[in-house]
Amino acid sequence: MSDAPDSGRVRAALDRAADRMLDASVYERIGIAVGSTGLALAIGLVIVALAGYDPIRFATQLVVGSFGSERAFARTLQFTTLFVLAGVAVAIAFRAGVFNIGVQGQLIFGGIACVLSIVWLAPYLPEGRIGGVSLIVVGLLASAVAGGLYAALPGALKAYYGANEIITTIMLNFIAIGVVGWAVDGPLRPDDARSVRTEYLPDNVGFPQLLFDYPSFSLVGLGLALVVVAVISVLMTRTRFGYDMVTSGYQLRAATYSGVDAERMIVATMTLSGMVAGLVGAVFAIMVQGYFIDPTGLGTYGFDAIAVSLLAANNPIGVVPAALLFGALDSASSHVQIHSEVPVQLIDGIVGLVVLFVAAPELFRMIAERTGLGGGER
Amino acid sequence: MSLADYSASREARLGGIGLLGLLVLGAAAVVWFDVPVERIVTVGFVNRALLAASPIALAAIGGLYAEKSGVFNIGLEGFMIFGAITAAVALYGLGGTDPTQIHLWAAVLLAVVFSVLLTLAYAVLLIRFEADQIVAGLAVWFMGLGFAPFAASLVWGTVRSPGLTRVNYYSLPYLVEIPVVGPILFQQSPFVVVTAVVVVAAWVVLYRTRYGYWIQAAGDNPEALDTAGVNVNRVRYATVVFSGVMAGLGGAVLLAHAGNFIGTGDTMVDGRGWIAIVAYLFGNYNPLGAAAAALLFGGLDMLQVQFQTADIAVSGRLMGLAPYVGVIVVLTVWGKTRMPASVGEPYESEE
Repeated sequence: MSDAPDSGRVRAALDRAADRMLDASVYERIGIAVGSTGLALAIGLVIVALAGYDPIRFATQLVVGSFGSERAFARTLQFTTLFVLAGVAVAIAFRAGVFNIGVQGQLIFGGIACVLSIVWLAPYLPEGRIGGVSLIVVGLLASAVAGGLYAALPGALKAYYGANEIITTIMLNFIAIGVVGWAVDGPLRPDDARSVRTEYLPDNVGFPQLLFDYPSFSLVGLGLALVVVAVISVLMTRTRFGYDMVTSGYQLRAATYSGVDAERMIVATMTLSGMVAGLVGAVFAIMVQGYFIDPTGLGTYGFDAIAVSLLAANNPIGVVPAALLFGALDSASSHVQIHSEVPVQLIDGIVGLVVLFVAAPELFRMIAERTGLGGGER
Repeated sequence: MSLADYSASREARLGGIGLLGLLVLGAAAVVWFDVPVERIVTVGFVNRALLAASPIALAAIGGLYAEKSGVFNIGLEGFMIFGAITAAVALYGLGGTDPTQIHLWAAVLLAVVFSVLLTLAYAVLLIRFEADQIVAGLAVWFMGLGFAPFAASLVWGTVRSPGLTRVNYYSLPYLVEIPVVGPILFQQSPFVVVTAVVVVAAWVVLYRTRYGYWIQAAGDNPEALDTAGVNVNRVRYATVVFSGVMAGLGGAVLLAHAGNFIGTGDTMVDGRGWIAIVAYLFGNYNPLGAAAAALLFGGLDMLQVQFQTADIAVSGRLMGLAPYVGVIVVLTVWGKTRMPASVGEPYESEE
């Protein structure tokens, strides 16, 4: 171990790491993702039938509730936007071998930082479009900083004190919900607010409506999310930093030999992941809500994003279709909640099943072998 | 002194320093804010802490066994949720909104049986199909967060159950009258006693029986165990099922102490399964240590009640975060525990 690394061996190790990543072919991964989702949905429908409801009616409602009308489709895209960003946040960390389960907490702090910075700065900036755009930029920056810092903490605790990041980030989620929930109901709640909330964002802060006439969605938001996908994707595949990050996830020793400071890499990975997570909160505040609420009522984007990222094999580009699927599921939830007798929590359970099956690719290899299907997956 | 001994003693020292630091901080806070200690550390507080600690301790013992044998069961939180909802539904099914104590014990038993079935499937997925232990464990949590409120909605129409019943405390006449010790030991929830028995038995089995050595070997040196003619995966199946059962029992006990099921937010389990993982890490994989750590977290959880009764004006919501903060502090100071060598690696026999 203490021998000076010979460069040939390092090269070989790095090559092996790359091979391993490519080993499971893209087709196989897509097969596993589709199989997991299909199997989970099928089990969900069986449960619907066992509970005494009509599974075909439920399946129809899932489709109608997500793509059946312009309103439903806009709602699907609204959730998709949030899942793309949150999924990329998770993917960054998981690709680098760091389990950031704290995206939920990071997006909560990102969202509140965005709202507060905009509300505080608004009186000093001109009204109208220029002021609005500057405020949005400030809000996005503030959310990235807040999310990044809140993720850097567990990153540093892991890197320098060996504290398991899975557990610290989960604890930090509970703490974020508690602290922001307390603040929104206490010092940050305006005197005239009837519900638990912060001040409203000024009128000039918001994404313009394009194409869709739906107040909680704007193509600008989706565009922003896709830009983040592109940037992160390039960063991870085309830059030295991204290469070091991914190798330290797959081959820590090889990365260390090639001169990567593993501890700093962990902190950097978590920070980057948290910055993107923070943006989720900002987009939620600016595009969807217009203010910030008690985080218990926020929706579990940060948790579902783990499923999104896993389904995409932690690939930022793969996150986009996976996010669309989860966006559709969430959108269908809103529809099911109103138009169906089936308790809507079933959809959360189905999401859990998807994650479970994604965790066990061997299961599908065996099914493929037994049934002789999926020869193309090899 | 072997490397292992060295790291163990170093950990013990680190942990000691950490605890000392916590104590000093606590003492400083007491002096600074002029906290009335005698109104905070009361008999009632100890009892509440024991009640709060027992589900955590049970889950921790289970998780500890699985990890000792080389499988990281990160699904404890999920299995606790499943335990709590099964017990609640069984209790309601047996006795409606007015169940008896016999119904309650039967419901806990049914929750245990259900946990066995659930964890058997989980163990097959982890061991036979070599599923990613971290992702699969998270999946169990997500499934619990979805299916438990779903089941509650099916049964009661909302994610909360109506008031069912709580477990009756036993009370031994005369002995209860003994000051301090009496009301703690001789008037208590029977599940606290069950937990204590499980903890001690877990310690004896792990360190004093042949099977306990198999468990340790399955995690530290599976090849050697295999060579000795013991089926490594069979040992791991047993510990994984045991861990799920203990977590399920923990969830059922939580329900038996609370008296109704709450499925909002992160459900009534609310992170206790995660805290259980930290409890056994903090206890350095020793059942007695894990139970002590669970008691620490239970105490932190119940501090808010004490602060309220002592009229200390701290937001209840913020005080409720104390165990989570405690967990992070403990992990930071005590993070580098010596994990069993083969945790997380599927074992395939060479035959």
